Amino acid sequence: MRNARHPERSEGSQPRGRRILRCFVAALLSMTGGAIAENVIAIRDATILTVTNGKIEHGTVLIRGSKIAAVGPNASVAVPAGAQVIDAAGKFVLPGIIDTHSHTGVDGSVNEISLPNTGMVRIADVLTNEDVSAYRQLAGGTTTALVLHGSANPIGGQSQIVKWKWGHPVSEWPVAGAPRTIKFALGENPKSSNFRPPPGTPLQYPQTRMGVEEVIRKSFTDARDYMARWDEYEARRKRGETPLPPRRDLLMETMADILRGNIDVHSHCYRADEIMMLINLANEMGFKVREFQHVLEGYKVAREIAAHGAGGGTFIDWWGYKLEAYDAIPYNVALMERAGVVTSVNSDSDELARHLNQDAAKAMKYGGLTEDEALKLCTINPARQLRLDHRIGSIDVGKDADLAIWTGHPLSTYSRVESTFVEGEMVFDRQRDLQLRKDLAKEKADRLKKEADDEAKKKKDAAKKPEEKKDE
Amino acid sequence: MSRRSVCLVVLLLIAAPLCADAPGVYAITGGTVHPVSGAAIDKGVVVIRDGLIEAVGANLPIPPDATIIDAKGGHVYPGLIDAQTSLGFAAAAPRRRGFGGGGGGAAQPATPPPPETSPAFQAIREAKLSDDDVEAKRATGVTTILTVPASGIFNGQSAVLNLAEGSMESRVIRAGVTQQVSFSPRAAWTYPDSLMGVISYVKQSLLDAQQNAAALAIYTKNPAGNKRPDQSAAADALAAVLRRDVPVVFIADTELMMRRAMAIAKEFNLRYMLSGARQAYRMVNDLQSIPVLVSVKWPTAPASKEDKEEQPLRVIRDRQLAPTSPAALAKSGANFALVSGAAKTAEFIPGVRKAIENGLSADDALRATTLSPARILGIDRQLGTLEKGKIANVVVSDKPIFEEKAKVTRVFVDGRETKLPSEEEKAKRAEGATPAASPLDGTWSLSVKSAQGDVNITATLHVEDGRVTGTFSGDRGSGDIKSGSFDGTTVEFTISAKTDAESADWVFHGTVSGTAMSGSVSTNLGTFQFSGSKGQ
Repeated sequence: MRNARHPERSEGSQPRGRRILRCFVAALLSMTGGAIAENVIAIRDATILTVTNGKIEHGTVLIRGSKIAAVGPNASVAVPAGAQVIDAAGKFVLPGIIDTHSHTGVDGSVNEISLPNTGMVRIADVLTNEDVSAYRQLAGGTTTALVLHGSANPIGGQSQIVKWKWGHPVSEWPVAGAPRTIKFALGENPKSSNFRPPPGTPLQYPQTRMGVEEVIRKSFTDARDYMARWDEYEARRKRGETPLPPRRDLLMETMADILRGNIDVHSHCYRADEIMMLINLANEMGFKVREFQHVLEGYKVAREIAAHGAGGGTFIDWWGYKLEAYDAIPYNVALMERAGVVTSVNSDSDELARHLNQDAAKAMKYGGLTEDEALKLCTINPARQLRLDHRIGSIDVGKDADLAIWTGHPLSTYSRVESTFVEGEMVFDRQRDLQLRKDLAKEKADRLKKEADDEAKKKKDAAKKPEEKKDE
Repeated sequence: MSRRSVCLVVLLLIAAPLCADAPGVYAITGGTVHPVSGAAIDKGVVVIRDGLIEAVGANLPIPPDATIIDAKGGHVYPGLIDAQTSLGFAAAAPRRRGFGGGGGGAAQPATPPPPETSPAFQAIREAKLSDDDVEAKRATGVTTILTVPASGIFNGQSAVLNLAEGSMESRVIRAGVTQQVSFSPRAAWTYPDSLMGVISYVKQSLLDAQQNAAALAIYTKNPAGNKRPDQSAAADALAAVLRRDVPVVFIADTELMMRRAMAIAKEFNLRYMLSGARQAYRMVNDLQSIPVLVSVKWPTAPASKEDKEEQPLRVIRDRQLAPTSPAALAKSGANFALVSGAAKTAEFIPGVRKAIENGLSADDALRATTLSPARILGIDRQLGTLEKGKIANVVVSDKPIFEEKAKVTRVFVDGRETKLPSEEEKAKRAEGATPAASPLDGTWSLSVKSAQGDVNITATLHVEDGRVTGTFSGDRGSGDIKSGSFDGTTVEFTISAKTDAESADWVFHGTVSGTAMSGSVSTNLGTFQFSGSKGQ
């Protein structure tokens, strides 16, 4: 709760804003029994949807520092003296929702569109903590996202796994120790089917699905050559020779790191044939596709995706917005999940990222997933796709205290989020938000008024001038 | 002596101080002298001889050979130093798509194209300072500038020049003072066309220079059996940066951009400074060990009340707090200078005044435009104060120089009195400085004939120096105009349009005729026609 801030608060280290906030926090703390050195929060008497260990009615989650310290029925969890207690009777606790397809929080274009392979560029270099969408996603219970490069080229830039640590410096947003990731893209977007450069600009290679495959294959064969050059250089140095150092190429370093298993591939795709193409190419080149993104025809090749060990992150009911999205069915999620693909629903949208719980719920209607299976679609499954399921995605002792308190069951459209925690810190709270909206509206009005007053005064002074001259 | 020759002698005597070839001997007397190196001296004297300052003080003997400059009631300062300008270079062109910058050859902008820059670009060889530029700049009290183009990513090696009358060679204080980097993406489809691409490009360029330097060092020792490395002027220029011989100036206005620049500098162990620094007020504690050149190009409010109210609080707040950056830096003891940056010549002193209105003391403002920039640029043994032995750049004004109605009355550069523009010339320039509103300025209702039906978008556009800025809203979400250009007839701008599943850049290309605009828009779903009109 220490640093929780409202959208407009995130950017300034404004003394006045801070002071108000501090008073506010101090008041809250005094209401809850005084300041304590360590962050200890007990969420009492809630229905806890652990995701990995079923549902606990009348349960308590104990947060200590940034981690979940205990979880269980009320009677089994002792609340330490001095802990901040939140009475959540009648409410639900869900792990923070994880969105593996986000473009939120990026300064400038999400596409480096200029080359067929732009694996040297990094989303991490251009993250911004001033995108209000991150805060709005917290209001929908979403706490973690894979922020991806766009899909304009077969190999896009390196993506970044972040938590929406609203109010914190952007340097704290990337999840420390999380796998590095890169965006691949297949199909219409990378062959620029739907986007033509203006007249006068040459068409960008590739223009066909064949070309997309060739770009990816050549990038990896180039990377092998690159790695061999460096190996030879190191070997010659070991022999006591003085060879010239090869060029350190940021693009080739990226490709080499994919081959070394240091960077996970998340690939945008739609059609079954291109999914098979990438699986075959990955097997040939010796890398893994960690997650197929969008993957609207995943149901046609679900067994093959599962055999490769890739996940599938998809939309539940978006289709037909371009030719390659025509064969989509809402049963895709259920069919992939039942075929053994680790499946998630994700957003690709600032708006949808605020209610991924609802898209998860639709998989119960389309394909008959159980409640537990539906909840996994936006929690532990995306955590597994990101290889972060040891840290996030469920309410288990030792995991990061990323969770939200809901007014009702999160799979109901009538439920909404009351408070959201990231690593034990309350980063969104509905009541506080309502108050801050008023404060910020007032600040805006005050600032505009001051500006108008200053302007009027200047005009008045300017009008006076000629008279002064006359007096002289 | 005939009467005619007497006249001639008199004329010569009058004209001598103004157009003598050799710097003369002057004693500026009667004014309040602000040496910056020490306290102000009431009725002080500054003696100039042969281009240098000979003496500064109260009650000094006036050398018998000195021409006396009466500054009674006025104020005497060291010439101001503007440590960030692009004087003598064409403005950076708005981002253009495609190659050759033509786009069909019609309606070419009248202004010359900006120079092709690179790390090897040397401002000293390419700057074309017009007399008008120099005179206008001097009229504001600035006698020394740093100049380098604002175009490109590696803008090149800057030059520090005295604004003297005479050859370029004679003006040079130092060349190759800094290497400047701007985070400006290139036109779409040319690497790098995104901010993240620019950052990768800068890093790769530095890596290549590292590799080149290492390879050359090994090759020089062991040429036999090794392939000869390329000779690269760009790599050589960056090698000087990597050796910390030449500091890098990163152009960065926002806190996030400054921090990105700082991360690059840290990764490559660069000596560097930040320029722009509009949001320094948010991070003064982290700017204690870095020279900061704060541009006085302050953000401005939109003209209409409705547009003001449309803006988010964060924009309004930033606009009001940005001019408090200099005061915050001064209070914290940071090493900073006030510079033009993107501001025009005529905006410099008013910009400094705005910093004073927002809490900076006049003394600190003077220091930030004299001694501090001299120190930051490493020229403080020659310039920045009125002290014996320094270069005689001296400015006299009728009132304290940053006051609203102050007028610079005399300017000495390298010990020579220089010409100031006449009142008519000033008026003429002022006219030119505030161009009539562009026909693009205003709120446009645009309708795109897309395959899915009409898409209505309202765009509020503003043009400055050919660049289009503004906001949009409507059927495809809302946001800022991402980039754009306008040459008087043809307009191009990009928005980030949100559809169901994907957000994509929509690039509008149109022609403007009166209050009508029409053309085509390239989208992720195809190219469509659009048309629209400007509201009142």
